[in-house]
Parts: sequence; structure tokens; C-alpha cells
Amino acid sequence: MIRRFLDALYLVSGWLSGISLVAIFLLMMFMSIGREIDFNIPSGDDFASWALVGMAFFGLAHTFKRGEMIRVGLLIERLGGRRRQVAELISLTVASAFIGYFTWQTGRLAHDSWRFNDMSTGVVSVPLWIPQLAMVIGLGILLVALLDEFIIVARGGRPTYQPEPPKTVEELVERVAQGGGV
Amino acid sequence: MSLPELSLVLLLFLVGILASGVWIAVGLGLVGLLAMNLVTNVPIGQVLATTVWSATASWTLAALPLFIWMGEILFRTRLSEQMFQGLSPWLQWLPGRLIHTNIIGCGIFAAVSGSSAATVATIGKIALPELQKRGYDERLSLGTLAGSGTLGLLIPPSIPMVVYAVTANVSVLQVFLGGFLPGALVMALYMGYVIIWSWLNPGKTPPRDPSMPFREKLRQSAKLAPCLLLIAAVFLSLILGFATATECAAFGVTGALFLAWWSGTLTWSAFLESIMSATRLTCMIMLILAGAAFCTAAMGFTGIPAALAEWVKGQQLSPHMLVLALTCMYIILGCLIDGISMIVLTAVIVLPMVKEAGFDLVWFGVYLVIHVEMAQITPPVGFNLFVLQNMSGKDTWTVAKAAFPFFILLNVAVVIITTFPQIVLYLPKLAFPD
Repeated sequence: MIRRFLDALYLVSGWLSGISLVAIFLLMMFMSIGREIDFNIPSGDDFASWALVGMAFFGLAHTFKRGEMIRVGLLIERLGGRRRQVAELISLTVASAFIGYFTWQTGRLAHDSWRFNDMSTGVVSVPLWIPQLAMVIGLGILLVALLDEFIIVARGGRPTYQPEPPKTVEELVERVAQGGGV
Repeated sequence: MSLPELSLVLLLFLVGILASGVWIAVGLGLVGLLAMNLVTNVPIGQVLATTVWSATASWTLAALPLFIWMGEILFRTRLSEQMFQGLSPWLQWLPGRLIHTNIIGCGIFAAVSGSSAATVATIGKIALPELQKRGYDERLSLGTLAGSGTLGLLIPPSIPMVVYAVTANVSVLQVFLGGFLPGALVMALYMGYVIIWSWLNPGKTPPRDPSMPFREKLRQSAKLAPCLLLIAAVFLSLILGFATATECAAFGVTGALFLAWWSGTLTWSAFLESIMSATRLTCMIMLILAGAAFCTAAMGFTGIPAALAEWVKGQQLSPHMLVLALTCMYIILGCLIDGISMIVLTAVIVLPMVKEAGFDLVWFGVYLVIHVEMAQITPPVGFNLFVLQNMSGKDTWTVAKAAFPFFILLNVAVVIITTFPQIVLYLPKLAFPD
């Protein structure tokens, strides 16, 4: 039950991130075509950069769960069994602590913007806490995902972010197609 | 704490935290936190939140996900099959014959994709078995693929170039334009090597494929035309200044979607998949950029970058000595970490030095990207090696040995662009005369 809810949470926020990508694309197209025909989207570049913020942060948990957050695996991948488990738990603790702090601080930033009624400076004036909230929510979901992994690994499970190595060429090409390395 | 002590502490902490397997973005953030804790009393959390906000809410950066998406769409078309069929009839006469399809195929795909792994995987999945079937030398075939795949990074659009341009605060367009001629240079070096190798090993090149009438050749390569048109359109809009980098990326996506629709390979599920994988890659890079932005701000408080730049100035180091020292550092780093992290980790320290020594930052971006290319093919963590190792079933060392000559050729390219910086700067200067 909780498992399904959490997985749905990561996936849905991942989709939100994907929708933001399409939004950036459409905004850019409308803006550059609009310039030719004297039709402009007010504060279009502000909206595009906020869509980018949404995209960058909403998709974090999904990206992390799929094992596409990069790390230096040189040493940790040499470890096995119990040692590996401890090393993973340490990494997850450090990451949770930092992301927790990060979430808290972006939350304070959004709170301050709301308190002081900070507005964007473009043609269309938007309260800044609205786009800033995307950072807080995205990081918050990432924090949930990190704690979730911590529990999985502590119980002796295989981390979700560490997929089985590919077995066939098709699987590998598929894997590369799915991202995972520039 | 004195500056050298502080630098040492931070460096050791960075190495320790990254080696322990903590995610790179988190590691960067932690180094920033430690640095600020040691040297200032300003509210750290506030600096963290505001630098990350202003670094990610950026219009210029919006080009990044679009270029990534463009590559992801084309990856899902039948481009790779068409590439081999379209190129092979024309390359039979060159010494080394079809091996050159690897180099030129990767070069063409590189011009629509910003990723090296995708370039290797796309071209390799067809070319590797086809070349093996015809009896080409496997080592040369693997080596050329590993080496040419890295062109995905040097020939624009390029993901590391966007990352560099944003970190160094230079124009994405200029760095892109700077990559074209060095990309052609690297291709020429690779092809030259293959030609010489084939002269030295005359027995190892299999005979020609049965020859084809000229019209048939044209028909085969006509399939490549839409892709070449897309490249030409992107290139022209860049150099003629029709579009900003971000708009250019949006047009690129439109072109890629059109191409995929036209070739009938864009299923609905492939389309959704392309969005999601572009999203994940972007999120990964954006979190690293966020961590790096904070780390850079924190380093500014410590005064280390400025002091280092001052020191370089005081040493009266010749520019070539500096480049030599940096080259050694980047080769070592490239063996240990991936290219994107390499750029953001070193930018804050290296850029002020390089500027002080009088190098053009656009030139330095291209130089750095060639080092990122090398990092893709140096063991133990070169990603192209990993891809090819899985594709061919060989072990890492075999693939790494096959790729070694191409690693050397990339170093030759570095020497050439250092001696003749005009190769990099010609196109950017042509498009932006001031």
C-alpha cells in the first residue's frame, strides 16, 4: 500500500517534470515564431525559466530511483555483501541529511518571498514564492525517496537505484536510450 | 586557518566524500557548506537557497533539456541503419574501407546529438555486427567506434558545452561554433590514422563489397538527406545568428520530431519515452549544476580561486606550461570521474587562472570538452568503453587498448588547437565580429 503510493508519487512528479519539458518547448516555439508575426507572450522567458526549475526539481526523485543520479562508483562497487550495505547506508544518510537541509532552506526562501510579497520583475508580475515552491516540493519528494531507499537497504534489500547489469546488447542499447551517462 | 591549509582540508574532504560513493551533486553541496562554515559568518542556508534559485531559474539553461530531447528523439529513429547503408557505398575506395563509416557516421550523428554514449550506441549497434560479418579487424573497429563516439560531445549540439558555457558564463552559441572545426580536425586525424594503419597492415582490410551502380548508391544515401538537412539548418541558424541557442534547440526538437514522423518510426510510446529519458538526464545534470553553483559561491568567500589566479600570474608561467599542467590534471581526473562533474568541479578554480593567463574562455571550453572526450575512453570508468564492452562482449582492457590510439590522437588535437587557437576561434569570430 505505502509502497504503491510512494512509487506513484515518484512517477507522477516525474511526469510533471516531463510536462514542464514540453511546456519549455512550446513556449520557445511560440516565442520565436511570435516574434516574426508580432505576437508575443508576456514574460515568456520568465515562464520558460520557471518551467525549467519545475522540470529540474520535480523529476529528481524519479531520476534517483532509476539510478541515473551519478556518483563515483569506483570504490563502492568493489565492495560486496555486508560492507556494501554499510557503505550504501552511509551514502544514503549523508545524502538525506544534505537534501533535508536543502529542502528546509529553499522552504525558508519561499516563505520569505511570500512574507515580503516578492514579485517577479517581468511584464507579468507573479509572486515569486509560487515558482520557488517547485524547488521545495521537488527536493521534499527526493528526501522521501532517499529515506525510502534507506529503509529498503537497512532491511537487506537491493537498492532500487542499482539495477541489474544489462545482459544482452538490446538491453544495453535500451538502457543507454533510457539515459544513464552523457 | 591559512589559505593553503584551508585548500588542503577542502580538497581532502572533496576527494573523501566523492570516493565514498555519495552522489556528486550532494558532495559538491557539502564541500560548499564546509567551506562556508570555516570562513564566514553569513547565513549559509540563505546563500544556498538563493544561489541555487538564481542558477536554475535561467533562460539560457532552458536550451539544455531541449538539446537533450532532440538527441533522445533521433536515437529512437532508424537513423543508424540508414547511416550505414547510406555511407558504405561511398567509402569503399578509401584504404580502410568501411571502417570509415564508423568515423563519418559518428560525426554526422554527433551533429544532431549532444551525447557521446548515445552516439556510440546508435552507430555501434549496426556498424559493429556489419563490420564483423565482413571480416574487418575487430580491434580497429572497436577503437574507431570508441573514439568517434566522443565526437558527440565536440560537434554541437553538445551537453557538456552547455554545462561549460553556463558555468563559465560565456555564450553557448560561441562555444558551439568553436566546436565545429576542431570536430572536423579530430575526424581528419582519425581517418588519417585508419588510412595509415591500412597501408601498414595490407592483409587486414577485407575486399570491397560488390560494386553498385551509381544510381543505386544515390538511392541508398538519399535516406540520409533529411538528417543532413536538419544538421545544415541547425548549423546555418547558429552561424547566421537567426536564432538564439535556446530557440535553435527548440527548432532542433521540431525538426527531429518531423524527421521521426516522416520516417514513420515515432510511435506514441517512443515519443513519451524520449520525453522521460530527456527529463531524467536533465534532472541529473541540473542537480549537479545546482550543487556546483553553491560550491562556486562558497569558494568565492574563501578567496582560494583569486589567490590561485594571483599565484599563476606571479609564477610567470608561460601559457603553454599552464596548458601542459592542466592537461595532465584533466587526463588523471578523466580516468576517475565523468566529464560533466569534471567540468563543474574544476571550473571554479581553473577558470580564474586561465583568464589570468590570457586564454580565451571560448577556446578553453573547446579544450576542456576534448578532455571530456578523452575521459569517455580512458579506463576504468570511461563510459564509451563500458558501452562497447557490453556490446562486443570483450573485457574493458581489450576495448581500452583498442581505443588507446584514439586517445593519443585526441591529445594530438589538443596540441594542434593550442598551437593554432584560430581553429577554434575562427567560426565564433566570424559570427560575432566583436
